[in-house]
Amino acid sequence: MASHGLTYDGCNFFRQRLVLSTLSGKHVKIKNIRSRDDEPGLRDFEASFIRLLDKVTNGSRIEINQTGTVLFYQPGLLYGGPVEHDCNPQRSVGYYLEALLMLAPFMKTPLKATLKGVTNDPTDPTIDLLKSTALPLMKKFGIDGEAFEIKVVKRGMAPGGGGEVVFTCPVRKTIKPVQLTEPGKIKRIRGVAYSVRVSPQMGNRIVESARSVLNQFLPDIYIYTDHMKGTNSGKSPGFGLTLVAETLNGCFLSAEMSSTPQGQGDPVLPEDLGKNCAKLLLEEVYRGGCVDSSNQSLALLLMTLGQQDVSKVLLGPLSPYTIEFLRHIRDFFQIMFKIEVQTPLEDERKGGDKVLMTCVGVGYSRELKHSQDR
Amino acid sequence: MPPCAEPSNICSQSDWRHGDKLPIHRFLCTCETKPGVYREFTWRNSADVLVFRMDAKVKKQKKHQQKHSGPKAEKKKAKKQEGSVEEDGRKRNPKAFSVQSAVRMAKTFHRAQDIKTKKHHIPVVDRTPLEPPPVVIVVVGPPKVGKSTLIRCLIKNFTRQKLGDICGPVTIVSGKKRRLTFIECNNDINTMIDLAKVADLVLMLIDASFGFEMETFEFLNICQVHGFPRIMGVLTHLDSFKNNKSLRKTKKTLKHRFWTEVYQGAKLFYLSGMVYGEYQTQEVKNLGRFISVMKFRPLVWQTSHPYLLVDRMEDLTDLEQVRMDPKCDRTVSLYGYLRGAHLKNKGQVHIPGVGDFQVGDVGFLSDPCPLPDAQKKRALNEKERLLYAPMAGVGGLVYDKDAVYIDLPASHVNQLQEEARPTTELVQSLIDTHSTLDTKMAASKVSLFTGSATLDPTHISQHTREKEILEEQSVWDPTTNRERRKVIFTQEEGEEEDVSEEDDSEGSDQAEDEGDVECEEMAAGGAPPQKKQKLEAEGGRTGSCAELPVFADSEDELEMSEEEEEAGTPGDSGHSSEEEEDEESEDELGKQHSEGESEEEQEEEGALRWKEGLQQKAAEAFLRQQEAAPNLRKLVYGSVVEVTESEEEEEELGGLFRVSRPQKSKRLQANALDCSRFHADTGHDWDVQEVLDSIRDCFVTGKWEEDQDAATLLKQDEELYGDFEDLETGEVHVSQPQDAQDDDDGDEEPQVKMDDEEVQKNKRLEKKRRLKERFNSEYDDGDATYFDDLKEELQKQAELNRATFGDMDDESRVQYEGFRPGMYIRVEIGSLPCEFVTNFDPHYPIILGGLGSSEGNLGYLQMRLKKHRWYGRILKTKDPLIFSLGWRRFQTIPLFHMEDHNGRHRLLKYTPQHMHCGASIWGPITPQGSGFLAVQSVTGIKASFRIAATGVVLDLDKSVTIVKKLKLIGYPFKIFKNTCFVKGMFNTVLEVAKFEGASVRTVSGIRGQIKKALSSPAGAFRATFEDRLLMSDIVFLRSWYPVSVPQLYNPVTSLLLPAGQKDSWSGMRTLGQLKHDLGVRNKPNPDSLYKPVVRAPRRFNRLHIPKELQKALPFKSKPKQQQAKGKTPRDLQRPSVIREPHERKVAALLHALSTVHNYKRKNAHKVQHAKHKEFLQQKEKDEEAKLKRQREAKKKLYRVMGQKDQKKQRSSLKGASSDL
Repeated sequence: MASHGLTYDGCNFFRQRLVLSTLSGKHVKIKNIRSRDDEPGLRDFEASFIRLLDKVTNGSRIEINQTGTVLFYQPGLLYGGPVEHDCNPQRSVGYYLEALLMLAPFMKTPLKATLKGVTNDPTDPTIDLLKSTALPLMKKFGIDGEAFEIKVVKRGMAPGGGGEVVFTCPVRKTIKPVQLTEPGKIKRIRGVAYSVRVSPQMGNRIVESARSVLNQFLPDIYIYTDHMKGTNSGKSPGFGLTLVAETLNGCFLSAEMSSTPQGQGDPVLPEDLGKNCAKLLLEEVYRGGCVDSSNQSLALLLMTLGQQDVSKVLLGPLSPYTIEFLRHIRDFFQIMFKIEVQTPLEDERKGGDKVLMTCVGVGYSRELKHSQDR
Repeated sequence: MPPCAEPSNICSQSDWRHGDKLPIHRFLCTCETKPGVYREFTWRNSADVLVFRMDAKVKKQKKHQQKHSGPKAEKKKAKKQEGSVEEDGRKRNPKAFSVQSAVRMAKTFHRAQDIKTKKHHIPVVDRTPLEPPPVVIVVVGPPKVGKSTLIRCLIKNFTRQKLGDICGPVTIVSGKKRRLTFIECNNDINTMIDLAKVADLVLMLIDASFGFEMETFEFLNICQVHGFPRIMGVLTHLDSFKNNKSLRKTKKTLKHRFWTEVYQGAKLFYLSGMVYGEYQTQEVKNLGRFISVMKFRPLVWQTSHPYLLVDRMEDLTDLEQVRMDPKCDRTVSLYGYLRGAHLKNKGQVHIPGVGDFQVGDVGFLSDPCPLPDAQKKRALNEKERLLYAPMAGVGGLVYDKDAVYIDLPASHVNQLQEEARPTTELVQSLIDTHSTLDTKMAASKVSLFTGSATLDPTHISQHTREKEILEEQSVWDPTTNRERRKVIFTQEEGEEEDVSEEDDSEGSDQAEDEGDVECEEMAAGGAPPQKKQKLEAEGGRTGSCAELPVFADSEDELEMSEEEEEAGTPGDSGHSSEEEEDEESEDELGKQHSEGESEEEQEEEGALRWKEGLQQKAAEAFLRQQEAAPNLRKLVYGSVVEVTESEEEEEELGGLFRVSRPQKSKRLQANALDCSRFHADTGHDWDVQEVLDSIRDCFVTGKWEEDQDAATLLKQDEELYGDFEDLETGEVHVSQPQDAQDDDDGDEEPQVKMDDEEVQKNKRLEKKRRLKERFNSEYDDGDATYFDDLKEELQKQAELNRATFGDMDDESRVQYEGFRPGMYIRVEIGSLPCEFVTNFDPHYPIILGGLGSSEGNLGYLQMRLKKHRWYGRILKTKDPLIFSLGWRRFQTIPLFHMEDHNGRHRLLKYTPQHMHCGASIWGPITPQGSGFLAVQSVTGIKASFRIAATGVVLDLDKSVTIVKKLKLIGYPFKIFKNTCFVKGMFNTVLEVAKFEGASVRTVSGIRGQIKKALSSPAGAFRATFEDRLLMSDIVFLRSWYPVSVPQLYNPVTSLLLPAGQKDSWSGMRTLGQLKHDLGVRNKPNPDSLYKPVVRAPRRFNRLHIPKELQKALPFKSKPKQQQAKGKTPRDLQRPSVIREPHERKVAALLHALSTVHNYKRKNAHKVQHAKHKEFLQQKEKDEEAKLKRQREAKKKLYRVMGQKDQKKQRSSLKGASSDL
């Protein structure tokens, strides 16, 4: 059969390509992966990611050449079920979970993934962030149910890791179209200040400094301190803060910051971290939109895979990752978004430009349902 | 008999309008039925008295007279009155209507609710386009039933045109809002299957004189599997019935059979008879009316897939290529109305009968058969009754994206064409031209000014070329070029280059823009090299200054675009191409702030570059906000309109200018860190109060909008609901501001009394409206259910869908939502097999079925299948079968299986006779729940009923779990107590090792377990059993062996066959066919052969009874052990005596004597016996006499004794009495 595939260059946007390939059923070939690098080919964390994909699908075909610079991926059918995966500690669990969040609603059986590895590191969205922003976002698309949660069993900081996260997601036949055009005003700010293998006082110090910045805007601020001990504390010391601002319309904007991993740079003072994180949140608020910057692509994907109806979502400025994602969506699903920039009025004090994304879904229906659940 | 000599006279008198032609006897007949008329007639003419008399004999029925009095009338009256009383049963008998049982009441309530809810369908979003595609009407029926005639009649009915040969779909405009596409379905099962999938309405023709034929039922079954379109039966050949009764009977039976197949009350049309080879006009008209008002249900498969019923096909292959290689793959464009869902460009399609293809290019054309413009009139005029059937040769001129096709009509079509197209003159003129446009152009000359020299095309081309060279040089200035390549959004690089290539006049601006981009990138990276950027910009500006007109131009466009943007059409792709030069200066993403900074710095730089600053400022001040939209779009998607072109050019560029650096940078980015986080380096200092203020309103503590602010809302409420009248007390509450107004009014009363009245009136109206609103909201709320809410929500969504892209032009709209159903599109497909073109037959439908995202892939499908009850035989596992699933028809090898109670899928050799079974095939991934049907062969009509099986897809997977039973048999060769060594089951130790612990069993039912392999013989093992085995036992192991589904997927390529043989596709043969064709016969099982029966004699062993038991037994039951006396041995045998003659004589004498003696004794005994008898008789007699005597004596005695007693008694009585 003439199912045509796509070819890409380089390892950037690796996850996007594989995830979209899996969802669309088109095979993908990625060439020149770090071909000019001193260490050519796929890194361990990418290999680990491929392995994870292999676990949640059935019948995938993966071919990697000798040096690891060329990858061919023929997707199988999304299967789901209980999956346990040891994530490579080079990247945090968020790296893997972001992809799983995109795939989970379209599985054949509900997914229950246990991911082990680094839960919090400065590069990727941490587990706390995804928990507090991605899940409510997905709920707006009709992915809901009792067994829809991310549970942090153990926390593991970079570089050692040792954390454990359980992600369960129900399956849905179709995704609802959404109209998220009005973010609403921020009514409360919540957050988690976590610390492992350091003094429990760290958390309180972070909270203090973060509050000092945010209290200028809102009185309703509550930042939990989460200090994990013993076996639940992973292998490396560290601390960090995740802040989430919730609006009246149920949109979530978030910011986060983690301490630099042990032995990889200058140590950070918790006060500075708290303050900087709070400023990041303000920056995020400035950007605005109904979806925060790290979840833009997830929202766009769910819009694309919805029913054949118009979905609208208001975003802040598009991140480079999202822009690439939009291109990939066009490659894989032939969907183009209508992009309109909404500029705030002169007298409005509501941050920067917003982007209104509009699209018609492809009418993606979960082809694989379990024989029982019809 | 009729006496009237002048019938005409009579007629006139009786005031009838039949006239003279009326036969007389008929006239009389009518007279009989109308006696009143007759009477008059006779009264007038005395000559007809006779007739009247004759008619008087005819029995006149007595009229009913109603009784007004008497018992009957009384009864009736009473009944009437009673009835009126009875009417209100509730009053008369309230008990009967009271609640008897709460449970029962609940039950009835539930039932009522259930029935109500059952009527609900799951609401779906209404996605029908505003201008729907023509309705596909498939005319089906066995051959010679009148299909073509019906289509012809319907077309004539709607368009007043006659069509000769119906080949391919025929599209007509039937009404103001409806178009119809007719297509005829021939008797080939391939066609029937394909057309059933695209049909909206099926006209099922049935020859009533013959009855139903198998084709009808086959088609119905196909429809049932692939979603049921509307089906209307049409009975033809009704004129062949001579007898009215049999006609009615046939109609009834046919109708009822049809109803059981379709649904109760399905419409069946009757076409009675032909007039001049056509059906009766009135009947066709009625049928047409039915069709044009019919509503259609949306079918799941059709609404979720885009599809095309191709009504035109053009071969676009290069003729030279065809000449070189007649068998080369063809590029073909197919045309048709898009139906179903939105079609995306570059999607995947399946053409049933050909295969899967990648869509090369899709474009939409103007509608060849458009609906009439919206006008308020009832009927269509002649011009609007359009007919479009390119395959049938109607419509001589057809337009394509880049070409016009002229169909040179044959002489018989000419007439038609002139009717259809008034543009024939133009066509003819086009045909008449003999030289091409190029040569004409070359010959023509233009003078710009009067009297000046004419310009040659050669001159012009020279000029343009010069210009081009100039432009390119300016763009590819070596210094700027090198600088530019350093920092780019790699993805845009190629496209921007393209743009610079394309736009001849914008090289300079381009240079500047890229400079900007660079500056921002640098700012993001770290230290911004401002100076370098300035220099660059300067270079660019000088370039643009050199060409003053260009600058002016761009200014103009700037203004223009600004106006346009303010008109409120941002984000329109049309602008993006127009305004490229300006837009590109804004090529940035959410980084206006850094830009702002750079702008400030630029201003500081001084007045030298004031022009540049001016433009910059202009761009920023006017266009920053509005331009950002197309900008962003361009940033994300590039210049979308010519995607393919730019790609090509890129390649070209690569050939001409090979620059290594940008590629390198591209690769650098390509291998960058894959992270979704957006690291903002905008440099907002969140310690500064102004910056903090910029987001103040994002929080609930900030300022609210007018319409949401609590204070304003409260105020509004006051105004709206402040004054109200308490209906109970009659008090009128008036809100404060109203009061004030009233007061004002009071002051100005003398001035405007009329106004006051009006105000009052308005107030009343307002109040009324409010009340009504309130009532409505309350009323609706009370009735609103979940169902209603859901429906409303979907309704809203549908409206949004329509509104969102409704105001865009089609060109850009198709990019966002794809080609929408109802458009007339042209689909270009490359690499079609050449047979598709060479063997093209318009009588066979070409369908372009769009495929879903993963429907192009292959996998294992598990289905539930049932052999069709009308199919003659059962189906064999692993025999190839042709499936129709989704759009496709393909041959594959199914495995049939049953699910055991423990979930195991056990292989079956054959399908069950009357039961569902599972089937697993290797085939295209199709959504679960889609129905399919299977046929054994698509060649001709061999079987009585061609559909072999039907079913539904249950599950999709990339692996299968079907197993078949396998019994391994072994024999014990050494038996210990319960342990046993078994051989012959396996061949190696390894095999045994795999089965260690497996349970085994003997034929006699002793269970056991495999323990361990033995070293020798190979494959032997030790096993333990629950009892001791015998050497004669057979040990077996029950196991399940996985079966693999053969990966055969063989699409039925019936459309590629030569015309006339399209129904002769044959794929893989079944085993039975193969054997039959090759003459292979199975060797019969020797056990099944008949042999002479030889029975061995049966032997029984003796019964052995133990000695002890024997002893204990009674003698009767004891075995009789005395042996029969054997032969006496010779020595014990006594010798026989042989008498001497004398002795013999003596013996004879003695014998004689004894005989005599015996005789005598016998006689004596006889005499003795008689004597004794006599004696006994005598004795008896004596005895009797003696008894008699004794009895009498006794009698006497008793009498005496009795007398004595009596005496005694009497005396005692006396004595007693004396005593007394």
